[in-house]
Amino acid sequence: MFNKLRIGKKGENIIFGTFVLLYIGWCVNSPDMNIESLKSVLTIGLSVGIIYGLVALGISLIYTGLDVVNFSHGEFFMIGAFAGLTMFNLLGNQDWIFNLFPDAYGWIIYVVCLFTAFVSMGLFGVFIERVFLRPLTKKGGGYTVAGMGIIICGFGLSVVLINVAYLIWNPVAKPFPAELGLPMEIGGLFLPITYIWMIVVGLSVAAGLWFFLNKTKMGLGIRAVAYSKDVSNLVGINVPLYISIIFGIACAIAGIGGTLVGPTYQVVVFMGYIILMKAFAAAVVGGFGNLPGAIVGGFTVGIFETASSFYISGSHKDLYAFLLMIVVLMIKPTGFFGVQVKMKA
Amino acid sequence: MLKINQLISGYGSVQILNGANMKVEKQSIVALLGGNGTGKSTILRAASGLIRSWKGTIEFDGEQIQNLPAHEIVGRGLVQVTQGKDVFPAMSVTENLKLGGFILKSKQQLSDNLEKVYNYFPRLNERKDQLAATLSGGELQMLCIGRGLMSNPKMIMLDEPSAALAPQIVLDIFKNINRIRQDGLTVLVVEQNVRMALLLADYGYVIKDGVINVEGDSKKLMYDESVKESYLGGTKANV
Repeated sequence: MFNKLRIGKKGENIIFGTFVLLYIGWCVNSPDMNIESLKSVLTIGLSVGIIYGLVALGISLIYTGLDVVNFSHGEFFMIGAFAGLTMFNLLGNQDWIFNLFPDAYGWIIYVVCLFTAFVSMGLFGVFIERVFLRPLTKKGGGYTVAGMGIIICGFGLSVVLINVAYLIWNPVAKPFPAELGLPMEIGGLFLPITYIWMIVVGLSVAAGLWFFLNKTKMGLGIRAVAYSKDVSNLVGINVPLYISIIFGIACAIAGIGGTLVGPTYQVVVFMGYIILMKAFAAAVVGGFGNLPGAIVGGFTVGIFETASSFYISGSHKDLYAFLLMIVVLMIKPTGFFGVQVKMKA
Repeated sequence: MLKINQLISGYGSVQILNGANMKVEKQSIVALLGGNGTGKSTILRAASGLIRSWKGTIEFDGEQIQNLPAHEIVGRGLVQVTQGKDVFPAMSVTENLKLGGFILKSKQQLSDNLEKVYNYFPRLNERKDQLAATLSGGELQMLCIGRGLMSNPKMIMLDEPSAALAPQIVLDIFKNINRIRQDGLTVLVVEQNVRMALLLADYGYVIKDGVINVEGDSKKLMYDESVKESYLGGTKANV
C-alpha cells in the first residue's frame, strides 16, 4: 500500500525542482541580495560544505563496509582537531623550523598538523575497532543483531570519547592560530586563506579516496568487502583486517576535517556532535552510502545553510540542514545519487 | 586430496551435519548429491572456513584445515565457487576476475591466469568491460568458476553450477569442468541435477539428514534405488 503512495522518479524530480525554484525565489527577494553577498555566501557555503562532506564521506564509507551508521564519528572529528592542535602547539615554539623555512613557516607547520591528524586518527580508529567493536563487527554488520549493537555502541562510544577528551583537554574552547598568510583576493572578494585550504585539501582528500578505492588493489578489496563479506572471504580477502582498514580510513578523513575547521573557528570538546548531525544530513541528501554523493550532499547542505542564514534568518542557523534533510527524505528518499538496489561502493 | 572425517557443524545452535565422512581423490571429479536442506552446502561452507566445524576433522593435502580463517584456506589452494548470483554486480568482469586472484603476489601471474580463464570461457573475454550485473545466468556461472580458477587452486568446490540454467548451458559448463580436471585440478561438485552430475563425476556421495547415506561409483549410483529415494523423498514404507 505504501508503495503506491510513493511518487515516481520523474515526479520526484519535478517536485524537488519546484522546491528549489521556490527557495531561490525566496532568497532573491531578500533585501540583502546582491552579487557581493552571493559571492561570499557561495565561498563560505562551499568551505563549510566540504567539511560536512568529509565527515559524511567517513560515515558513508563505514556504512558501505558494515551497513551501520557510526554515531561516534563526530568525536573522531573532534579528537582529530585536538590532535592537530597539539601538534601545532608542539611545533609552534620551535625556532629551527622558522629558521629553516622563514617564508613558508606557517604552511609547513599546518601541513604537518593535517598529516598528524590523518595518521593518528587512522590508527585511533583501527584501535577503537579492534579493541571495542571487534566482537560485534566479527559477526557482520547491519541487518543482523550485531549491527544494532554497533549502532548503540556508537552512541556509548561518543559519550565516552567526549568525556575522555574533557579530561585531557578540559572544556575551554581553544584557539588554533595557524599562520597561513594574508587573505587572498579572488574575483574582488577577500577570503581568509583557511577557507581556500579547506576546499583545496578537502577536495584532494576526496579525490585521493576515489583514486585509492578505484585504482589500487586494496581499494578493490574494500569494495568487495563492502558488497559481500562471504564472497570476499572466498576469494581470499582477510575480511576482519579490511573492516579495520575501512574504519581507520573513515576516522582519518574525519580527523583531517577537524584540523581543517580548527583555524576558522575554535577547538572545543563539544564540536563533534553538531558536525555529526549535519554530516548525517549531508550523507542523506547525497544518497546514503554513495561516496561522491557524500561530497555533493556536503556542498548542498553547506550552501543551503549559509544562504538561508544570510537571506532568511540568521538566528536559526542549525535548523536548515535538517530542514533540507526532511524535504529530501519526503520527496526523494534515495537522495541525489542513492540507489534502491544494494549496489554500493 | 580432501578428507572429511566425522564432521559435525551447523548454524548458530542448529546442527546440520551429524558426522559426515567423505574423501576426494586427487584429480578426480566427485559429486555430492542431496535434496534441499540435507547439508550439502554446509559441508562446503565448513570446508572453506565460512562456518566453524564443531567436531571432526577436515584434511586438505595432508594437513588439517578445519577452523582456519577462510582466506588462509584459499591460500592453501582450496577454493569454493559460489552460485552464479554471488558476483560483484557493480564491478566489471575483469575486476571480478582480478578479485579472484587477490592472493596472487605478482602481476605477471595475474595476467597469465586472466588469459587462462578467458581461454576456458571465451564468452567472458567478449564481455570483459561490462558490469557483471548485465551478464546472463550462464555467463555469471562462468564468471564464478573463472574467478575461482584465478588464484591457482589445487582443488575447487562448485556449489550447484547448474542452478537455474538451460540444459544446453549446463552441458557447456560441465564440459568446461571436465577440461579443468584434465588440466590437473581436483573438483567437488555439489548438485541437485543428479543425472548430469553423475555423468560428469567419477565418484558420488549422497547426503541425507547430515550424514552420507550412499556412496559409490557414479555409474553404479545412477541406477541405485536409494538415490532415487533420496530425491523423491522417502520410501513407500516410511511415508
